[in-house]
Amino acid sequence: MGRERTADERSARKPVRLPEAPRIGVYVCHCGLNIDGSLDCEEVARYAAGLEGVVLARDSMYTCSDSGQDGIQNDIREHGLNRVVVASCTPRLHEPTFRAACVEGGLNPYLFEMANIREHCSWVHLHDRKQATEKAKDLVKMAVARARLLEPQVETEVPILRSALVVGGGVAGIQAALDLGDAGYKVYLVEKGASIGGRMAQIDKTFPTMDCSICILAPKMSEVGRHPNIELMTLSEVEEVDGYIGNFRVKVRKKPRYVKDACTYCGDCVTDCPQHVPNEFDCGLSTRRAIYSPFAQAVPATYLIDMDTCVNRHGMIACNRCYTACGQKCIDFSQREETLSLEVGTIIVCTGSDVYDPTPLTELGYQRFPNVITSLEFERLINAGGPTGGNLIRPSDKRVPKTVAFLQCIGSRSKRSNPYCSNICCMNTIKDALLIREHWPETQIYVFYMDIRAFGKGFEDLLQRARREGVIFIRGIPGEILQNDATGNLKVIGENTLLSKLYQYEVDLAVLSVGIEPSKESAVVKRLLALPSMADGFFMEAHPKLRPVDTPTGGIFLAGCAEGPKDIKDSVTQASAAASRANILMSRGKVTVEAITAQIDPEACTGCGLCARVCPYGAILVDKESRKASVVEAACAGCGTCSPECAFGAVTMRHYTDEQILAQIDALAEEGAARKILAFCCNWCSYAGADFSGVSRIQYPPEIRIVRTMCSGRVDPRFVEHALFRGIAAVLVSGCHIGDCHYINANHQTEKRVQKLWKRMAKLGVQRERLRLAWISAAEGVKFAKEVEALRQVVSRISDEEIRKGIEAFSPRKGEPA
Amino acid sequence: MKSLELFDEQLLYECYQCARCTGSCPAAIVVEGFNPRNMLLTCSRLGMEAAVSDAKLWCCTTCHVCEDRCPQMIAVADLLMKMMNEAARRGYIPDKVRTATEMILRTGRLLHVSKRICDVRRKLGLPDLPDVPVEEVEGILEETGLSELMG
Repeated sequence: MGRERTADERSARKPVRLPEAPRIGVYVCHCGLNIDGSLDCEEVARYAAGLEGVVLARDSMYTCSDSGQDGIQNDIREHGLNRVVVASCTPRLHEPTFRAACVEGGLNPYLFEMANIREHCSWVHLHDRKQATEKAKDLVKMAVARARLLEPQVETEVPILRSALVVGGGVAGIQAALDLGDAGYKVYLVEKGASIGGRMAQIDKTFPTMDCSICILAPKMSEVGRHPNIELMTLSEVEEVDGYIGNFRVKVRKKPRYVKDACTYCGDCVTDCPQHVPNEFDCGLSTRRAIYSPFAQAVPATYLIDMDTCVNRHGMIACNRCYTACGQKCIDFSQREETLSLEVGTIIVCTGSDVYDPTPLTELGYQRFPNVITSLEFERLINAGGPTGGNLIRPSDKRVPKTVAFLQCIGSRSKRSNPYCSNICCMNTIKDALLIREHWPETQIYVFYMDIRAFGKGFEDLLQRARREGVIFIRGIPGEILQNDATGNLKVIGENTLLSKLYQYEVDLAVLSVGIEPSKESAVVKRLLALPSMADGFFMEAHPKLRPVDTPTGGIFLAGCAEGPKDIKDSVTQASAAASRANILMSRGKVTVEAITAQIDPEACTGCGLCARVCPYGAILVDKESRKASVVEAACAGCGTCSPECAFGAVTMRHYTDEQILAQIDALAEEGAARKILAFCCNWCSYAGADFSGVSRIQYPPEIRIVRTMCSGRVDPRFVEHALFRGIAAVLVSGCHIGDCHYINANHQTEKRVQKLWKRMAKLGVQRERLRLAWISAAEGVKFAKEVEALRQVVSRISDEEIRKGIEAFSPRKGEPA
Repeated sequence: MKSLELFDEQLLYECYQCARCTGSCPAAIVVEGFNPRNMLLTCSRLGMEAAVSDAKLWCCTTCHVCEDRCPQMIAVADLLMKMMNEAARRGYIPDKVRTATEMILRTGRLLHVSKRICDVRRKLGLPDLPDVPVEEVEGILEETGLSELMG
């Protein structure tokens, strides 16, 4: 590896690298009025035409349209363009589009560069046309400067393993596994619990059709159990994931069941077990033994021993009653935890949801008053497979309730709990109310709501049916619930807002319609897969509209409540979509990965191994004998953290070279540097966060110019020093939050380097506040704007003297490149 | 009248009208028609003038339970306090409040200390009530602008 490319690499390091002078075409997109509405696109195009290397500059209405792309292709042929710059939206949206257009026109896709003048300019400076136009000119100038130095790259093709990992065995995971299994791929379905089925197995009926939930789910569950292509792993958790699209290596920790697969599910073992604990599946409303099956339809249909409860938990056999009772001799106390290694091409994350725990809302009396229950507990109470055999009785005196109150939006749409609407609670309550009326028609039912959201197919019909059948809907959430200690009855107090009258209802049972939260395990999976999530903890899609089941990481997809609160139908739809997306990759069998990888010049390399030490992927090997480092290209993810580490300039990041980034800085610094802010944003989090500011139209000061790097780890301290030397007022280095880095932990290096820079600045008498470090996630548009505002404050205070000090302090010394 | 900036009016837009405030309000149970939820709505839709002219506003006991239970963490009691200030500034001061305020201005106390009260205290072995530094109280009320407001 590397040897045969040495000559290329060496020539790549020479200042003159092109056989022909750059002939750049610049296209400034109006994007309708999205861009042209707040800045002057024509003027930007005129300005671009005068830049070095630019042979033509045009402005057009929609550059991404077919005619726009055709125009680029024609110009490449007619005008012999060898570089293309499009100034339009974020490269995260249309870079692939324009790269494809360049390829069609006969240009290497890496000779294309984008200037983001929509998300980073027109949308965030809606009311300052002059400043926005000036900024757009700067952004184009920077893009052109970088384009002059772009080089053609050859993408490598990576094979994709024809196997998939599905994390989570709820209805979404089941559907995804079945779809992929049916398509002929090997599927590993990893479930943390003892059975697949998830939340859907717990509930009684489904809305709006009132199908029996487990009756429609159980056939799918057993299909998973016997599917030849699906390997079901229960009591298992993903422990480690590495690799990349098409080639993930996954470690799964599988806990023992202590019951062999030969178990016939007869249940003889259970009756003899002396240990009783609350049954989690019934929300603690019933008990189970230490040897148990979670529920009748469980898959795999074998018993298991909960070793935390079993008398033998300390490793000594103190009780063998189950062993004696089992006719098949299936009990095996010698089973041990094992770690399995899997290799998969794609991963589908279906980690599902938990329900909100309303205990902190003390005014509602949950946990204090036995007859205040949650909607999930209600599902178990009315479920024929539940602890009461489907007889709705209230916990305090086991009496059938005559009046039932449902309280909506508990734990949803609130700053005190979760700010979002949980999507399913309204319909779930309507369904529950109808279920009660179906079995006990005399029951008086009150539903206290603030808005009823019956938006789906068949939902409104169900709502109207409930109203027709006498369920009383009262607008106004109760302020509090009081208990009559003698009877256990509850008094629900509140205001009917439509009548502006206070109400007090005495009810037998109050059901808190609790909201949905991301499952606690999703935080672990998020860390293992380095996936971004929204502030509320749900995973973030690659694009909210157009790539709703993709994650930003290639080969990893989302389905079900892991992505956001949703009902069964939506979960199943999304699971099939995710499976189909994974199928596309696996059926193609290979994928090209971006040619953004590190290269090491063996001539310059001294074999010190510093680069190898910081590589999050272990992709750099140092040969002890030759004292040279080399990059394993398939393992290199392209973060660029290695490059700043090299004191000898031996590491080149393809497509993000030092020269290209320095050229952007120089272009920015040419005019009015003392009022400008340079920001380094990582592709995955902070650049996306800046995009999100734009999408949300959050306005911030126009002094900032963003340079995109794949990772904040690419930001060489020399870039910052160069910026200060060029008299730029302030620099922002930004990346993913620590722990969320897209490249495992590369941002730890960023932090260390910035710390060192601060020390150096202090030593040289340069104000520390001119360099700022910020962790900004893709969802933190507001935070990005705040960081810019903070830096603007710094810039407004900065004196000419201070700028001069920075220039002097960081002026290149002899022998160092500028 | 000088008063602190008690309430951020942007918060009004966050109200869902869920009525947990009124449902929790001890004053609403006693006073027919006193309704914090409705006051929020009136404030945001009809404006301050419509909201502060209603004398029921003064029934708020500032117990802050509404605030404790508001899902949107709107400082409802602070809003009502601000509205009372605003009402006073615009001359909507109910007679009872006016009487009480004048009482404070005159004697430094909200209630008249009668001979009977003094006797009862003595009988119960409680110390005599100290003298109120009326001038100091007056100074404070002057400073806050209350005396001016009362005319």
